[in-house]
Amino acid sequence: MSATSVERPVKPASARKNAERVPWIDWMVLPTVVVLAVVIGYPVIYTLVLSATKYNMLDMVPPKYIGGANYRHLFTDPIFWTSLRNTAIYTFGSVIISSLLGLTLALLTESLTGWRFRSVRALLLTPWAVPFVVVAFLFRYMYLQNGGVINAVLLDLGLIDKPVLWLNNSYLALPAIMVANIWAMMPFFFLLLSAALAAIPNEVIESARIDRAGTWSMVFQIKLPFLRSALFISSLLMIISNFNDFAKIWAMTQGGPGYSTTTLVVYVYRLAFENFNFGYASAIGVVWLVLLLVFALVYLRAVRVKA
Amino acid sequence: MNSMTMKPSPSENPLARRGVSAGRIVKYLAIALALFWSLAPVYWMLATSFKTELEATRIDPTLIPVHPTLANYIGLGGQSLPFFAFFVNSVISCLATAIIAVVIATPAAYALSRARFRLRGTISYSVLLFRMLPLVVMLAPLYLLLLNVQLLDSVGGLIVGFTTFGLPFAVWMMKSFIDAVPIEVEEAARVDGYPRWQILLRVVTPLILPGLLTTGTFVFMEAWNNLIYPLTFMTTMDKQTLPAALVLTFTGQFKTDWGGMMAASTVTTLPLMIAFFAVQRSMVRGLTSGAVAGA
Repeated sequence: MSATSVERPVKPASARKNAERVPWIDWMVLPTVVVLAVVIGYPVIYTLVLSATKYNMLDMVPPKYIGGANYRHLFTDPIFWTSLRNTAIYTFGSVIISSLLGLTLALLTESLTGWRFRSVRALLLTPWAVPFVVVAFLFRYMYLQNGGVINAVLLDLGLIDKPVLWLNNSYLALPAIMVANIWAMMPFFFLLLSAALAAIPNEVIESARIDRAGTWSMVFQIKLPFLRSALFISSLLMIISNFNDFAKIWAMTQGGPGYSTTTLVVYVYRLAFENFNFGYASAIGVVWLVLLLVFALVYLRAVRVKA
Repeated sequence: MNSMTMKPSPSENPLARRGVSAGRIVKYLAIALALFWSLAPVYWMLATSFKTELEATRIDPTLIPVHPTLANYIGLGGQSLPFFAFFVNSVISCLATAIIAVVIATPAAYALSRARFRLRGTISYSVLLFRMLPLVVMLAPLYLLLLNVQLLDSVGGLIVGFTTFGLPFAVWMMKSFIDAVPIEVEEAARVDGYPRWQILLRVVTPLILPGLLTTGTFVFMEAWNNLIYPLTFMTTMDKQTLPAALVLTFTGQFKTDWGGMMAASTVTTLPLMIAFFAVQRSMVRGLTSGAVAGA
């Protein structure tokens, strides 16, 4: 078979593909498709159905069709808008800050080599390996009013004169959780951007050096353009993972005080599993799904443009 | 700083060398600061786990435990709450999810990478799209589904939940690893007359072994981090996973016992830390070459 492709050098690629066509290879995709259809396809369709019903698990009556009423209610629900705003602040704030910090670190550690780079990188990646729930409790402990190390240090430095109630203050709680989130997320950006920096062709850097580019113009005019796609795609991945972040917020504040740290996940969780209002929770899920699809499409386009 | 011209004779130009040093000092200070920021909380968790309940909440915290004690760790085993059971539940459900996801995903990833059937593109992009779905959207229907098939409050139900994010991720990650295996390797084996299934087992599988391990570890970590599914699907306390148990018990047992809490946190972190550093190197390659950079 491969002899044919040698004889016909005009279309070697397609000849090769025909030669290797084995039908059962195609079918290896089947288990994945079946499992995904059951665990994702079915729930997503069921969510669409539930979102048009009044359904409370505790009422012991089957779902009742109410059309778009859940969606109309949603527009006048102040908590929905608060949680949408909190989700946006939490997600974009954390992602922007941790990507900038990760970028700075990647640039700073770029010139390290050998064991020094490997050990610094390993140490800087440590927060990545800390489970989200532990991140939450660890920071909750450090934020304590009495006995919390953050208050103790700030008091010692004279930056505050009495302990701050970080997580009990409706203005400070969300930023305080974001600090924990940034701590946990920065290693991801650091790692990916370090790798992207290492992938910049040597010739580009060398020729810039010959042109006597300064440190800053080297960073901003030569390196950053090369990092753009890595930065873009890693940010989008983290935006999506932050939209979904439940563990850190729930374990630190459960969405409080008031609704000041309630994001969409927390709100939907509360609606569905504290009030068992499955219909309305599903409607919010659907709206959210649409918002996320927009992001997903941007991501897919970015990936496709690259490929 | 044109280090190009300086590198050959760094010692001959003391002035230029000092200029480099000043920049270097700032740089090393920044790196030191970053190391402090990354490691200090982890140190604090470890240090606190060896402190007594009283010392852990002192108004003037001690940097090093004054009276180091193992009581917090011993306490985890002997209290009313079955921490060892939580640990085992977590390990079993996360490990099973990782293995199942990789076993189902790898053949699919191979087909998506190598075969050229009609729905290939559609399936590829659906998998990627599924990976981005908000988990909470599926929460209520998944709960009802598990209720109907009587998998609620069981490890099986938990694994189904974890699979919703583990499987799409595993497919995408494995595809990028398989894409990186040169097709020529397989062709050479085919020319030698090996049947396709033997090529898959003897040629392809060894080559993608690091990828299998990395993907499995990633799924394991994501499952270990997940809180919302165990919190919703499990009702019996004894069947809970470690992270969910931490959250559920905090209001009771650990309310003021931060030493005990940090000991429990350390135990929760350990498996993840080991898994993470075991595959760190191939993870860097997998994430950068495939899933992100070249997907």
